[in-house]
Amino acid sequence: MLRRVGAGRLGGLIALVVLIVIASLLSDRFLTVPNLLNVLRQIAIVGILAMGMTFVILTAGIDLSIGSILGLSVVLYAGLLESWGLPVAITLGMLAGAGAGLVNGIGVAYAGIPAFIMTLGMLSFARGLAFIYTGGTPIPILDETFYNFGNGYFLGIPIPALVLIATLLVSAFVLGMTPFGRSVYGIGSNEEAARMSGVPVRLYKTVVYVISGGLAALAGVVYSSQLGIGTPIAGQGYELDAIAAVVVGGTSLFGGKGSVWGTFIGTLIIGVLANTLNLNGVDPFVQQLVKGALIVVAVFGMSRANRT
Amino acid sequence: MTPLLAVRGLGKSFSGNTVLSDLDFAVHAGEVQALVGENGAGKSTLIKVLGGVYQPDRGELLIDGEPARLRSPRDALARGIVVIQQELSLAPHLSAEENIFLGHFPTTRFGTVDHGEMRRRAKELLESLSIEIDPSVPVGRLSIAQQQMVEIAKAISLQAKVLVLDEPTAVLDEKRVATLFALVARLKAQGLGIVFISHHLEEVFRICDRVTVLRDGRKTGEAPIGEIDQEWLVARMIGRDFPAHARQARRSGKPALELRGLSRRGEFEDVSFAVHEGEIVGLAGLVGAGRTEVARAIVGLARPSAGTIRLHGQDVRIDDPGTAARLGISYLTEDRKAQGLLPNRPVRENATISSLGRFTRLGVLNLVRERTYVRDMIGKLDVRSAGMGTEIRYLSGGNQQKVLIGRALAVEPKVLIVDEPTRGVDIGAKQEIYALIEQLVARGVAIVLISSEMEEVLRLSDRIVVLRRGRVATTLSREEASEETIMRSAALAA
Repeated sequence: MLRRVGAGRLGGLIALVVLIVIASLLSDRFLTVPNLLNVLRQIAIVGILAMGMTFVILTAGIDLSIGSILGLSVVLYAGLLESWGLPVAITLGMLAGAGAGLVNGIGVAYAGIPAFIMTLGMLSFARGLAFIYTGGTPIPILDETFYNFGNGYFLGIPIPALVLIATLLVSAFVLGMTPFGRSVYGIGSNEEAARMSGVPVRLYKTVVYVISGGLAALAGVVYSSQLGIGTPIAGQGYELDAIAAVVVGGTSLFGGKGSVWGTFIGTLIIGVLANTLNLNGVDPFVQQLVKGALIVVAVFGMSRANRT
Repeated sequence: MTPLLAVRGLGKSFSGNTVLSDLDFAVHAGEVQALVGENGAGKSTLIKVLGGVYQPDRGELLIDGEPARLRSPRDALARGIVVIQQELSLAPHLSAEENIFLGHFPTTRFGTVDHGEMRRRAKELLESLSIEIDPSVPVGRLSIAQQQMVEIAKAISLQAKVLVLDEPTAVLDEKRVATLFALVARLKAQGLGIVFISHHLEEVFRICDRVTVLRDGRKTGEAPIGEIDQEWLVARMIGRDFPAHARQARRSGKPALELRGLSRRGEFEDVSFAVHEGEIVGLAGLVGAGRTEVARAIVGLARPSAGTIRLHGQDVRIDDPGTAARLGISYLTEDRKAQGLLPNRPVRENATISSLGRFTRLGVLNLVRERTYVRDMIGKLDVRSAGMGTEIRYLSGGNQQKVLIGRALAVEPKVLIVDEPTRGVDIGAKQEIYALIEQLVARGVAIVLISSEMEEVLRLSDRIVVLRRGRVATTLSREEASEETIMRSAALAA
């Protein structure tokens, strides 16, 4: 019984450890502090997106729009920074992300539009807004503080990695320690039963999309500060990387089962794999292949582990 | 006579839990062997061993007296052992004849399906079994009873020697049960060995020749049917006696819940009754009379189109189950699977999902208090599971129901509506649930009991409101109420 409960996460952890062992055997440079910090920095953006995606998938939903929302927030940060200053730019960009999430949430929870369709629409819509806002050309960001946020260190750790870890801790707290978080699992496990138990299902379903949109905008902060540019194509396809991290991390696409810790492990697995392929000079095209295979194998392995 | 199929000293465990131990069981040709026991007694596991789904851990399986190994259901099928599950496994879009011959279609010289031959053989087969079904109709359009017949015909076409019927009557009405039993009798006469599983003990006496009783994975009794009676069976199934239940109506307190002219278009009309503190009001009626619909309107799952709901003398407006819970009204659903369980969440979370507020301070759950509360609740309700961390889908129906009762009680309701509280639970758990309801009412909770089981309504209720076609047909006192008076009000047109 105990095995059953922990199988998903434990399986992911074991896979991660195995991967790390293999990676350190293949390259001397892998198990060095600078490289590991580099991995953390590289996974930060997708990791933050995947945290938001975990909330949504736990309710048996899906959010395909987060890559586009990231893109929208990125051009807003870049465009507003010059004339309005950093705090206002960040605030407005974050509000736009959360607002797009709110529209998703209302569409899914109140209008009853399937999440796949609603967020697919938002994927196109938010990306369109980003293009219209910029006229298609990237906006350079010339703010020293902002640039340092994306590329600097605090206590020797890259700041984006710290943002990811803070997101993880807050998300874990919300999911594990609040009535809202508990209800998110309940909704995903059996929405009708949750409703009958007095859970405000529609409100909470809306909130998970707001969280997802807001975190996409937060990932946008990391993205634009790392690159120093606001490009309307930012984050294209990232939603799929986030979904991959969530499912590799053992969260069920059917809802009600999984955790942000699992998602963190899933993000690490994908990040370490990419890193080790890079260190060993594997052709980027081949990397795509390996990543695709890994996702399928990992999820297959976990579903097997869950069955026995 | 050598049994067709037997197990000797069978033992089976799952991750340390012994489910079957030292079990002997045999099926003889031309005999209907009943298998009875509470949910969780090990019947399903035994069937799965017989059907090749599980391998025995200990002991042996014998076919025609020879030790045999069944590695898969396919293996079992090849040896003539067919298990017919409660959930039928037919392809709904294929015709009856196609379903019967699926996997062994008669073919023409060119390797295509020989439809003429298939039709001829299907007709012959159905006729020999006196099954009146058009073999060309897609089975999805047949009734459940007819689908069952098709499945049995399929088994016969596979040269079945042993037929295991897992609760075949659970989904049938009385007339269809008679048709099924006639078929079983014919199969028996043809020399098949039949294992028959049912919760309805009177059926066991109707068609079985021998009965084997299981409890907690052991055989607690085996006898030819002529030598025993129902009490003998029940005693071996639950290992304890029923309490007698003749009693006076309870003395009740102030009105807790009052409905006045409550209506919802197309569902029920002008429904008025009151439930007092410390009283159980039974809501009786045929299926479709509007009982569940009334309950759903009370807890805010559907909006009434007219009428008022009063709670402790005050009019209230209830828009959703959350509001109902805050007002002290709790509802135990009739559809545990669709509307009650959070299947892949632990027992603990299932128990507290409706009452998280009581464990929350400043927006944060106190997990220690929650745990203590659930542990206490599990003890009081006697929920048997590996622990409060076990996903609830792994519990038996009775234990799941107890957890859901715990969930309803966690909001400390003043009014509790229980809808078919013992549906799909075994006899032992049923008695425990009755005892629980009686404890609650003794503490002053007002209870509305909806049940299709006459015996249950009569036993528990102080008054009985009978609904007929969405209207209150009559209200019967405990003294007036009997199976006959209820049925007369429920079923006869005014």
